[in-house]
Amino acid sequence: MNALQYPEIKPKKKFIKRIYIAVMLWVVGRAIQAAAKVDKEVKEEFAKLKDNFLLKMWIWPNGPSMYVGKTKDGKVKYLGWKDKGYKPTLTMTIKSVEAAMLLFTFQEATAIATTRNRLVVDGDLPDACALVRILNIVEVYLLPKIIAKLAVKRYPKCSQMNPFRKHFGRILIYVRAFTF
Amino acid sequence: MQLPAYYEFCNSVKTIVGHKALEQIPQSLKAINAQRPMIITDKGVEQAGLIKIVQAAMQKSKLKAAAIFDSVPADSDVKVVNEVAKLYRSKKCDSIIAVGGGSVLDTAKGANILVSENAADLMQFVGYGNVKRKLRPLVAVPTTAGTGSEVTSVAVIANHEKNIKMAFGSLFLLPDIAILDSRMTKTLPPTITAFTGMDALTHAVEAYFCLAKNPLSDTTALAAIQLIAQNLVNVVKKPSDLDGRLALALASNLAGMAFSNSMVGLVHNIGHAIGGVCGVPHGICMNILLPYGLEYNMHKAAQHIGQLLYPLAGEEVYNKTPVKERPLKTVEYIRKLIQDLHDATDGKHPRFLKEVYDKTGKQMIPKEKLHDIAKTAMSDPAQFYNPEDLDYNDYIMVLEAAWEGIPLDRKKIKKG
Repeated sequence: MNALQYPEIKPKKKFIKRIYIAVMLWVVGRAIQAAAKVDKEVKEEFAKLKDNFLLKMWIWPNGPSMYVGKTKDGKVKYLGWKDKGYKPTLTMTIKSVEAAMLLFTFQEATAIATTRNRLVVDGDLPDACALVRILNIVEVYLLPKIIAKLAVKRYPKCSQMNPFRKHFGRILIYVRAFTF
Repeated sequence: MQLPAYYEFCNSVKTIVGHKALEQIPQSLKAINAQRPMIITDKGVEQAGLIKIVQAAMQKSKLKAAAIFDSVPADSDVKVVNEVAKLYRSKKCDSIIAVGGGSVLDTAKGANILVSENAADLMQFVGYGNVKRKLRPLVAVPTTAGTGSEVTSVAVIANHEKNIKMAFGSLFLLPDIAILDSRMTKTLPPTITAFTGMDALTHAVEAYFCLAKNPLSDTTALAAIQLIAQNLVNVVKKPSDLDGRLALALASNLAGMAFSNSMVGLVHNIGHAIGGVCGVPHGICMNILLPYGLEYNMHKAAQHIGQLLYPLAGEEVYNKTPVKERPLKTVEYIRKLIQDLHDATDGKHPRFLKEVYDKTGKQMIPKEKLHDIAKTAMSDPAQFYNPEDLDYNDYIMVLEAAWEGIPLDRKKIKKG
């Protein structure tokens, strides 16, 4: 048997999945920027992070990616998907497109994805803890309760996040994320 | 048994267990082509005469330690790691035998990185996965039955100048060989035996009910819990019980295997913070917080917590207890175990946070420190693996109950 006669099996590019993930990363990035302006808790979490904080969230090995960071005047900004020579202080790597799909289609909660070793975090662990809290709040704003409950460990009750804050904040975050 | 859709498990350590297991050192070293071992230990171990036992076991085969470093402090430090590496190089050693507790084993792992990578600075290896190749042979001989460091792939080393703790994680940090010999823990005082045993129990219990549990870690966790439940109080009452000592050493090893693959949750999360803020030994924090960790997560992990009653209390009690009552009965058994240890050590084994005193009799955890502890706990990644989420107020609720020594009011626990 001549092994050379067999064609090389190349991995599929998974275009549609990549496009879906890229869109989701864009939405999450824009929503983080918006939530940092709208929500007091998110604002406080970012205030505690170091001035040069820069998050890179990406799918190994070829992306897509998303960058969010603090500007010189302390504002939180979505910096796009292209690496413009950024030096991330916190990198969150999702190990494969399939792992990212499980996460972004909410088949697997963020906590479960972490415990199943589908995410690798490189950077200061306190920053990573703060980021997970921020992502949880953003998910509660972005998603309807029935889906958000799959994504976060504990969906906040009215006593923790009153309905006015949730619904008004949701409108503001959607408007800001998709307009300016 | 829960079968997750995906899990990972790794344990590549050859483990040698027995009353005279140390006698296997020469052959074991020969098998991994090591001829000039360096012994790393601390003053306490050396003064207890344990190094003489190790040397005697080696001399029977005419094997000699090329160097001995016996000054590892209680809190591993990067300066000490550098000193160890310097001695290793100057004496042309080719392997390490680490004899001690968690601090000694972590120091040995740190020094092994430096000498194997021929590096001068540990900082470049900080984090997970930054040690990328096989290190020099490392034999771990634990002298406490609690940390399970002999089968874990992590090391924590302090940098006192920068006031930080550096964590290293890599499968290459797993020792090549772990030797569990009952003579190594025989002289351990009852109080230390008690809280190190509770540390091992916490590793196993958290590995069993937290989010990264899997069938392989479940198996080792359950075996560890059974061994601890059957032997800990007896050994604290009768320290010379060598069979009991060996059973606890094995339990610690099994629990280490479980938690290094399944990680830990709330109990370690808050315990790390108390250790950082107040300097309380890790095992003492684990012992006090374990029932609270179970109570806090009961609504999310009732089934798994209920299953722990079997290895803790035995078949008869488990079968007699209705399924619904098993989780609470598990907590009751653990509280009883803590009380038994308190009684067996004439009250030296603390049950609550307010009962923790230092050697001068000063309270180590004043109530006003609880806020600092809660804030510190919010930055600890062990929270990721806890079944229920935690915010600042949740930490305070758990800490206040654990400080006073009252069970958690489970009605107050926020449920999603």
